[in-house]
Amino acid sequence: MNRHSRSRKALGIAVASALAVTVTGCGNREDAGRSGDAAEGAPSPGITDDSVTLGITTPLSGATAGPGTCTVAGVTAYFGMKNAEGGIEFGDGQTRTVEIEALDDTYDPQQAAANYDQLKDEVFAMTAGLGTPTNRAWRDAAIADEVPQVLIMTGDPLFSDTEESPWQLGFVPIYQNEGEAFGELLASSSGNHRVAILSQNDDFGAGYVEGFKSAIEGADNIEIVDELTYEATDTSVDAQITELANSDADVFFNAMSVTPLVISSLQKAQQLGWTPNWFLPSNTSSPTAILEPGGAAAFPGIYSVSFSKAPQSPAFAQDEDVQTYLAALPQYGNYPDPPAFPHCQWSWMVGATLEQVFMEMEEPTRDSFMEALRGIEGFEAPLMLPDTSVSTTEDGQPAVSTVVVQKYNGRGYDTVESFE
Amino acid sequence: MASSPKTSSPKTSASKTSASTTSAPTSSATTSSASSFRQRPWVRWGAPLLLVAGLAVLPLVMTEGANDTLARIGVFAVAVLGLNVVMGYTGQVSLGQIFFLGLGAYVTAYGVQSGWNIVLVFVLTCLIPAVAGLVVALAAARLGGLAIAMVTIALPIVGVPLAKRLSDFTGGSQGLSARFVEAPEGSGLYDDQWQLYLVLVIGGIVFLMTSLLVRGKYGRAFAIVKGNENVASSMGISPYRYKVLAFTIASLIGGVSGFLYMVVVQYTSPETMSFGHSIELLVAMVIGGAGSIVGSLLGGAFYVIVPDVTNAIDPSLTALLQGALLLAVLFVLPGGLVSLPRALMRRLRRSPAGRGSAAPPTTPSSTPGSGTAAEQSETERQGHA
Repeated sequence: MNRHSRSRKALGIAVASALAVTVTGCGNREDAGRSGDAAEGAPSPGITDDSVTLGITTPLSGATAGPGTCTVAGVTAYFGMKNAEGGIEFGDGQTRTVEIEALDDTYDPQQAAANYDQLKDEVFAMTAGLGTPTNRAWRDAAIADEVPQVLIMTGDPLFSDTEESPWQLGFVPIYQNEGEAFGELLASSSGNHRVAILSQNDDFGAGYVEGFKSAIEGADNIEIVDELTYEATDTSVDAQITELANSDADVFFNAMSVTPLVISSLQKAQQLGWTPNWFLPSNTSSPTAILEPGGAAAFPGIYSVSFSKAPQSPAFAQDEDVQTYLAALPQYGNYPDPPAFPHCQWSWMVGATLEQVFMEMEEPTRDSFMEALRGIEGFEAPLMLPDTSVSTTEDGQPAVSTVVVQKYNGRGYDTVESFE
Repeated sequence: MASSPKTSSPKTSASKTSASTTSAPTSSATTSSASSFRQRPWVRWGAPLLLVAGLAVLPLVMTEGANDTLARIGVFAVAVLGLNVVMGYTGQVSLGQIFFLGLGAYVTAYGVQSGWNIVLVFVLTCLIPAVAGLVVALAAARLGGLAIAMVTIALPIVGVPLAKRLSDFTGGSQGLSARFVEAPEGSGLYDDQWQLYLVLVIGGIVFLMTSLLVRGKYGRAFAIVKGNENVASSMGISPYRYKVLAFTIASLIGGVSGFLYMVVVQYTSPETMSFGHSIELLVAMVIGGAGSIVGSLLGGAFYVIVPDVTNAIDPSLTALLQGALLLAVLFVLPGGLVSLPRALMRRLRRSPAGRGSAAPPTTPSSTPGSGTAAEQSETERQGHA
């Protein structure tokens, strides 16, 4: 008993002394090299006269590792190729090589924030990372630290709002851009169409549906006959597909981001004998990973949107961009297989866009970098489809906001001008 | 966790006697001198003082990155501590601890965004998860055994879609940001230092109170409920009531860790409470050392540091490396990292006794088991004191 009360007393005194030390410790401010203290005009971290380092935090393990690995591979391959050619001449006259520092966040926001903390003093800018929550987790911190978080792979409109996100810019089209593109194509068709909608019950699905509806507003030939949602955590959407099949719609707008669910939806609709024209978002329309296992050939048309050339498509087999890209990916990007996700191509374009920015950037500072970044207009990055381009001057839009609608041809996609 | 007092207590006495009788006189001398050293008043008073003073100065001298890492370790150490109360000390399998962390984080984020007083937010962050835990436990503890595990699995699995659906409160899958911890004007502290102080003070208080709890009469009751529910009942200790109590406290501590999560990470989304993280917390608890206060700290450190380390080795192999590390630690130290000093001492003590060559085959199997047992006897002894 005596021991007990003693130890309690000891703890009480310990806490009191802790507070005392804390209070006295507050007085002296030590400069432990905190970020954001750099003098005006001095070079930012991560850049020297002969090299610049870029940081990426992205899922490299876990459920989203496939696309995540691609987001690193593309940009690494692009700059690997450029470095082998001797580097890039920056706007300030120096020629620099570009190094990539990538960390795995397993799609965990907490780990993404930790990775950012680790990288922010070593890298010049953060780029190319995949995921909405994982990028949001450190958005505020990046603004406070004035670290660029640019050309990232999320369709979340927040990152493209200059007012709210001064140090951010999304790369890929926001969800609304994609839904809208398909809606416009449908509205311009000559026939009458009955549309069934199945969307993911979150900002992803809502964004697509919002864009689609805004495009078909006022079009007399389009009627939405049924509209259902599902949860991203659902393991089956058979019930929804069955109900939608009863609506006998001839167009199915399927805003779904979960790969296995898209495959099972395609299969379920075939079992039910329902074969509508089908719309899929760009990130779940991969010919090899989704459409072939789903038996998509049974449908009259599978439509998706894109802004990048599909390297597997025979149409681009002789394309110079595609050949350079396919050669560089295994050689410099540590990605030996043919690219399974469009994120590889997108990431390659991020590399090309950053090169443009570097060439325009007049001082080796993050401020100068952001200024150059926001001045790109109509840049046709390699692997981009005709009629699409990188433009960063319009507020509220990501770097790529134009997409073209494409139709599945059994192996890859072809751009279509009208909906039959 | 695997060894209950029923099986461990004979082992304990056996290992104790073997330690004092069979080993060389030098070792018993060291043991007694070490314990008397620990008993000396100036050590009993000075050591914690030194520790606290060290912790108070640490944030001022460390780099920003080290401060951030330490703060995150604090967050997850608290979460693991909560899990330890219900699993390590009371023996009830809970797979839903991350849900309470997530709930606490959401309450904090919502409160901050609504502009509530931060003290009120903190109180709510404790109360709401505790009430949620109480409601779940009232039903689950009645079922007993593995049913609690099943019910707690449901928590994160229900929590994620719920967080996505209740987008008015949770911001849907885009999550909530709340940047509310800025070093007060005039303190001269950087934000990361201030954050670390908050984590150290709040986390320290939680650790202190929990260690008092598990060493006092409640701790004894938890241990008996863990050991044998029939014995507990016959002694007038209601296993049901103590299970509910332990679960509620674990939920409350989980809520506090959620508050600290917002202090450090400043963002929460449904991903925060995904089921995988719950399992990772469980792994961290077992690796750190089940039923141990220091083990909770080590568990938190494991949870935070291992992904960083594997990232440094090869970012494309993190999952594989983590799995390998987990197996390695559990193989060498089944009692968790907390049993490492004991295992080392044992090894050191044996080799001079001339059994060095014969020791290796027996050490891995005997050391860790007795490590846990000794750990438990420690708590029991302190409890009875």
